[in-house]
Amino acid sequence: MAAILDVQNLTKKYGDFEAVKEISFAVEEGEVFGLLGPNGAGKTTTISMLTGVLPPTSGTALIGGYDIRTQMEQAKQLNGLVPQDLALYPTLSARANLDFFGRIYGLRGRALRERVEDVLRIVSLTERADQPIETFSGGMKRRVNIAAGLVHQPKLLFLDEPTVGVDPQSRNHIFESVQRLNRERGMSIIYTSHYMEEVELLCSRAAIIDEGRIIAMDTIKNLIGMLGGGVIYLGLPRVDADLLAQIAALPAVKEALAAEPALPAEGEPAVPRADGAVVKIVAEQNQQALVNVIGWLNAQDIALTSLEILEPNLESVFLHLTGKKLRE
Amino acid sequence: MRALHIARKDLLILFKDRGTLVQLLLLPLIFIVVFSGALSAVSAGNESGDGQDTRIPLAVVDLDGSALAQRFVADLDAAGGVRVERRAQDEALALLAERKLPRVLTIPAGFGADLDADRPVTLHLVNHPDADLEQTEAVRLVIEGVAQDLSLEYQILASLEQMAEMQANAPEASQIFSGERMIAQAQSQFERSRTQPLIAVAERVPQIAEREADEFPDAVQLAVPAFTVLFVFLTAQTTARSIYEEKRIGSFRRLLAAPLSKAALLAGKMLPNFVTALIQTAVIFAFGLVGLRLMGLQPLSLGESPGGVILVAAATALCSSGLGILIAALARTETQIGGLSSLILWGAGILGGSFVPLFILERFLGSLPRVVPHYWANRAFENLLIRGLGLSSVTAELGALLVFTALFFAVGLWRFSFD
Repeated sequence: MAAILDVQNLTKKYGDFEAVKEISFAVEEGEVFGLLGPNGAGKTTTISMLTGVLPPTSGTALIGGYDIRTQMEQAKQLNGLVPQDLALYPTLSARANLDFFGRIYGLRGRALRERVEDVLRIVSLTERADQPIETFSGGMKRRVNIAAGLVHQPKLLFLDEPTVGVDPQSRNHIFESVQRLNRERGMSIIYTSHYMEEVELLCSRAAIIDEGRIIAMDTIKNLIGMLGGGVIYLGLPRVDADLLAQIAALPAVKEALAAEPALPAEGEPAVPRADGAVVKIVAEQNQQALVNVIGWLNAQDIALTSLEILEPNLESVFLHLTGKKLRE
Repeated sequence: MRALHIARKDLLILFKDRGTLVQLLLLPLIFIVVFSGALSAVSAGNESGDGQDTRIPLAVVDLDGSALAQRFVADLDAAGGVRVERRAQDEALALLAERKLPRVLTIPAGFGADLDADRPVTLHLVNHPDADLEQTEAVRLVIEGVAQDLSLEYQILASLEQMAEMQANAPEASQIFSGERMIAQAQSQFERSRTQPLIAVAERVPQIAEREADEFPDAVQLAVPAFTVLFVFLTAQTTARSIYEEKRIGSFRRLLAAPLSKAALLAGKMLPNFVTALIQTAVIFAFGLVGLRLMGLQPLSLGESPGGVILVAAATALCSSGLGILIAALARTETQIGGLSSLILWGAGILGGSFVPLFILERFLGSLPRVVPHYWANRAFENLLIRGLGLSSVTAELGALLVFTALFFAVGLWRFSFD
């Protein structure tokens, strides 16, 4: 399939601060692609550059073959943006809001009316269409927010954290709408979120972004597969290279690493810590690895001071890759 | 074209915001009624003296000082309708020039001697161009009445004295001055006093320079355009607030992501301000023309060039729209918008003659008021509405407003943060 979006070394700097650092990725037509990362990772800045809200400092992107640095006006016709904020006019009705956003994309007359009715149906708000937005619940406002990004039938829809502050019922409704748009209308979607379960549910591929860089990008299955069968954190009185090698050699253990403190460089003595050390074990299968490791530690008379088990998911992948939690 | 959709949307939002509508449309009318009413009352008070004596004031300069002149002044004051205020000549003319006196009557030197000698004399009534015409006419009639009485008295007395003298010198003439003859003589003198009065009144309106003419404009002619200018420029903050609100709720990002140039986006945000300012001007002027009349106040006059008034209103509205973009560019927070608007819009309103007439401001501020667009708008309206001049008289003012507009828009565009 052809790429609807091809991002090449896109960078955004504010003075000396690099908000987005030479990121590159591509999105196929009809794909739902996730951008996963904590707040401040650079997701919204990336979307802002791709939608023409911000000019890139360097690099570029092709949207439907149009270069965003030289053909942004054409690229904008293909884009639909659903910003993180409720970018609506609260005193106007849902219909008046959608009518306005349709008009600024060049829709008129009957075509406009039909499109407004269509998107109202998609977000199930036909009944409340003529009431002011300010009378709506948070979830309903989110749905109108999405409808406003759809009214001109974009080929590529950017959904920037569309479920922030939404009740579970409206969240499910948004998920269904995204899946239906992709499945029934073949719309390509870029979905940003710091909720890993949303990206796991909706996206076929995702890029994990942190501090302006893409640190991993693959299918969701492969990303989670990076952790094998899961991750185990063990608190021990001390750690050294020999201990790590012996743990890594146990059955069902894929890898053993010193999480805290880092191992000293070769030839340098280990610095003991009063609160001991943390060993990170990447397992092929969490439960089996745990049984084997604890048995071995008992046999070696090494006391276990703490234990944390992470099931394989994008949250643990992010923690594995960055040492930080997604919602920090 | 897409800018029009933004403008239409903003107007829809504006017309749903009653608070802003009150501020834009009702507040200027309240200002105008209060100021016009107060100034008219002061003006009326000036016209009627101390407010208890309703007679029309008339300053009299007596250059003669004779008993006859004093008697004439006393007769004038006693005639009813006119309240005589004796003044020295220099003082009276200075007050007249400043419109602190509406009219001055001068009794020439030699008034008494000339009348005694049966020589005609001329009194001089000088009216300020802005003096009430009906009152001037009433004053003139009173003066002429008193002058005619005195003329008649003098002419008849002089005739009788002449007859008595002739009779004394020639007793045989007693047959000549019969009763019938004396009556005929009196009638003849009476007729002469009417057609060739001994005391004539010459009336003139001095050629007061333009600078002087605008010193005491009518309260309504002053207040309506001045507050129109003030409030039209105050709508500039509506543009700034609207842009700030779009940024706050995030819809500005959505507009930037739409196939819409930045210039069209800003034009779309300027246009509602322009339309609102025009509506505001139309409402205020309509109120000045009709509403003030219904309230018993003197209505506004559009002068000799209604087309010129429309052009100045449009240029002022455009300038206000440019200023809105500038404020939106300079202020990043709602508090900054409020502060900057107060500083720029109210400050410039005060400096530009919306509260104090320009001729007073310029006396102690020199040419400083010219640095604000309000000054040029107010000056243009003064030329058209107060001085009654035509469109050609406001070319410079229109040019200045357009230069300000271009400057505000250029700096606004340069400093505007689209991020």
